[in-house]
Amino acid sequence: MTARGRARRLIWLRRGVQAASLALFVGLLLAMRPPESGAPSPRLGFYFHLDPLLLVGAWLGGERLAGPALLALATLALTVLLGRVFCGWLCPLGALHNALSWLGWRSAARRRETDGLSRWQRAKYWLLVALLVMAVGGAHWTGVFDPQSLLYRSLTTGLLPGLDWGISAGAAAIFQADPQLGPLHLTALSEPLYRFWRDALLAGREFVFAGGGLILALLLALLALNLWRPRFWCRYLCPLGALLGACAGRTALRLTPTGTCGACQRCLLRCPAAAQPEKPGQWLPEECFGCWNCVASCGEDALDFRWQWPWRRPAAARVDLGRRALVGAGLAGLGALLVFKLPPSARAKTFGPELIRPPGALAEGDFLARCVQCGLCMQVCPTGALQPAIDQAGLAGLWTPVLVPRLGYCEHGCALCGQVCPTGAIAPLALAEKQALSIGLATIDTTRCLPYVYGRECIVCEEHCPVPTKAIYFVETEVTLRGGERRVLKQPRVEPTLCTGCGICETKCPFADRAAIRVTSANESRHPANQPLLPGGTESVGSNPYGA
Amino acid sequence: MTLCSRRDFIKGLAAGSALALTPLPLLGAEETPRTLAIARWQGEALGEATLDAAAGRLTERAIAALGGMGRFVTKGDRVWVKPNIGWNRSPAQAANTHPAVVGALVRLCLEAGAKSVRVGDHTCHEPRQTYATSGIAAAVAAAGGEMVTLDPARCRRVALGGKRLKEWELFPEILEADLVINAPIAKHHGLSRTTACMKNYMGVVGGNRSVWHQDFATCLVDITAFLKPRLCVLDATRVLLRHGPQGGNLEDVATPGLVAAGADIVALDALAAELIGLAPAELPVLKAGVAAGLGSLDYRAQAGAELAVS
Repeated sequence: MTARGRARRLIWLRRGVQAASLALFVGLLLAMRPPESGAPSPRLGFYFHLDPLLLVGAWLGGERLAGPALLALATLALTVLLGRVFCGWLCPLGALHNALSWLGWRSAARRRETDGLSRWQRAKYWLLVALLVMAVGGAHWTGVFDPQSLLYRSLTTGLLPGLDWGISAGAAAIFQADPQLGPLHLTALSEPLYRFWRDALLAGREFVFAGGGLILALLLALLALNLWRPRFWCRYLCPLGALLGACAGRTALRLTPTGTCGACQRCLLRCPAAAQPEKPGQWLPEECFGCWNCVASCGEDALDFRWQWPWRRPAAARVDLGRRALVGAGLAGLGALLVFKLPPSARAKTFGPELIRPPGALAEGDFLARCVQCGLCMQVCPTGALQPAIDQAGLAGLWTPVLVPRLGYCEHGCALCGQVCPTGAIAPLALAEKQALSIGLATIDTTRCLPYVYGRECIVCEEHCPVPTKAIYFVETEVTLRGGERRVLKQPRVEPTLCTGCGICETKCPFADRAAIRVTSANESRHPANQPLLPGGTESVGSNPYGA
Repeated sequence: MTLCSRRDFIKGLAAGSALALTPLPLLGAEETPRTLAIARWQGEALGEATLDAAAGRLTERAIAALGGMGRFVTKGDRVWVKPNIGWNRSPAQAANTHPAVVGALVRLCLEAGAKSVRVGDHTCHEPRQTYATSGIAAAVAAAGGEMVTLDPARCRRVALGGKRLKEWELFPEILEADLVINAPIAKHHGLSRTTACMKNYMGVVGGNRSVWHQDFATCLVDITAFLKPRLCVLDATRVLLRHGPQGGNLEDVATPGLVAAGADIVALDALAAELIGLAPAELPVLKAGVAAGLGSLDYRAQAGAELAVS
């Protein structure tokens, strides 16, 4: 069999592997759900453990490396040996880009002009350098650009909510209108499909994320760029690709001229990486995805991948990153670091009231150094409480998880977020440990709360408070109504030594706009400096400060 | 007072049904069907292990004393059992109806010829975890019933014709059922001081139901009058005495070992209140129930002697 014939078979194998990898990624995402008991399998974070960029970022951020994350070393070893096959064969985001590149059909003449090597392919290396400099300084944006994080976050906070809304709203409209075709009700078809989606696929959860639209728009924009240049993201931007490329310069599997090149440039047209297969001896191992398209497309049978000892210098070109550009990238990283550290909150001069972190989250500096904005915690949270931060955590905390009590609450009997966090930004806690923590403190807005100002009973917050001895209690207080009538009402109060800041009171408050009881980050266990109350003692105000 | 007329009416109804239906043979002895039955555990001390079996047997005994499930379920009926499954709490914490009570009800309905027995509640906590933690999902599956997650998007706006609630969103599952069995647990509650059968109907509605707290008595009377309870089963095998309605502390749980059943929702709620240590006549929800003619506070007059189960 010729090299070309073998390559054609390998390409089909590669496409199968790419499709399977993307399917596995989505499958692991859907399997990341609240189990009926116990903790989800750590294997669900497989792709994050496989990712050396996250490993290096965490290590530079001060994390001691251990556990499943060391799988990423295997990825590095594979890359040293075989080149960037992770990008060509395994990366799920790469598989998506690959599929979309195939859609962007442009004439061969046009592509010969545009699809070859571009100097801008060095940009991803500069981005990598900037990100690593930032990671050393503890402002981690690795996760913003890491392909695994990017895809997971976009699917969880953007695509799933969109699909969920479409399917739910459509099925609800059919259900309420109940259209019929003769004796057939359309609901006989729509309801089972909707149930399958809601119960089997989403485990009964509703997916609603603030700011998910922008996250999804970014993914769609990156995907659309494939129509302009094949695998635009992987060629020009991907910092993981850059890291793997930096390891691939001496790969053992090398593109080797095996015949006379007829200069037909078919290999250039088929190369998704612009790794210069069309120039014998000028092939770029740092850029090559190891996809075998060039070998399969060569009419002369003049190309093949051959084994070579790593210490033999490759007959290949090197990507010239440019010393000045590298220094510039490092300085840009430092500059970004400074910008991130400018806000007073970044220097613990003040604490953002809305910056409520999941239970077990490390102190903010350590948290930011480790969180890779992947969205696993948001995917697993049973109440939809964890949301991608927009501005609550400053620029450094973009898309890191914050708890938004109006949208969901921290379930008293759940500690899933820490159990699935792939980097330890949220520490894995046993349930009893988690229940002993505070993530915030409830505050009653007595200018809004019904029994304080509107002369009505309520205490929905007290009913829902999950602390076994009730952190929310009430004091029966006589109030004077408009007509002079006197009525005794139960006015809620918060016992700060018991409140865990779970936020269910704010979630369930009957006000639908701004709750009359709100949780802020005050008293969070992770920051002693954010604890205004002296511990111990359980005497809160018992008299009515607003009554006669 | 309209109570006597109502009670006489219920008695007449019971007598009529007793004539119309062949009484099912009960555990050996025949007995005259009652309108309200209280079964109390008199056997060995109740612990985590013995409570399961006891709760099931108490439920069967109470239903049998009413004349059997056949008096409520017609062959081919679609039955909805509405326990309290509000909270992500374990059975021992006494925040939800005991799973063995729910399992027994499902089994009895199926034996009486029900076409389907579905079970569900509009939970306060996340439904999937709550159904599992409460133990009810497993009990219902074992008894051959079907657990259904209620979806607020499926609610229909229904004219209730109440004082406060002119109309409200109700789950279609409730509206389509031929029989709804109201099966709560007796608990303490901060606002209404006790929660049992009438309060349990908060789980059949969607919408912003927490606003009902502003006038609990009227809203609960409105929904109860609309739903016209035919069979309520009060689980007081365990009761939650303090820090209701979700508790969490085992010290707040007592174990009366009692199950009561009947159609008079006010009488059953009065019994629940006494089990929590409250005087029924002082509770606004029960006073409003009596005033609206939904039943009588005097559960003893209807129940007669307690039925000993061991």
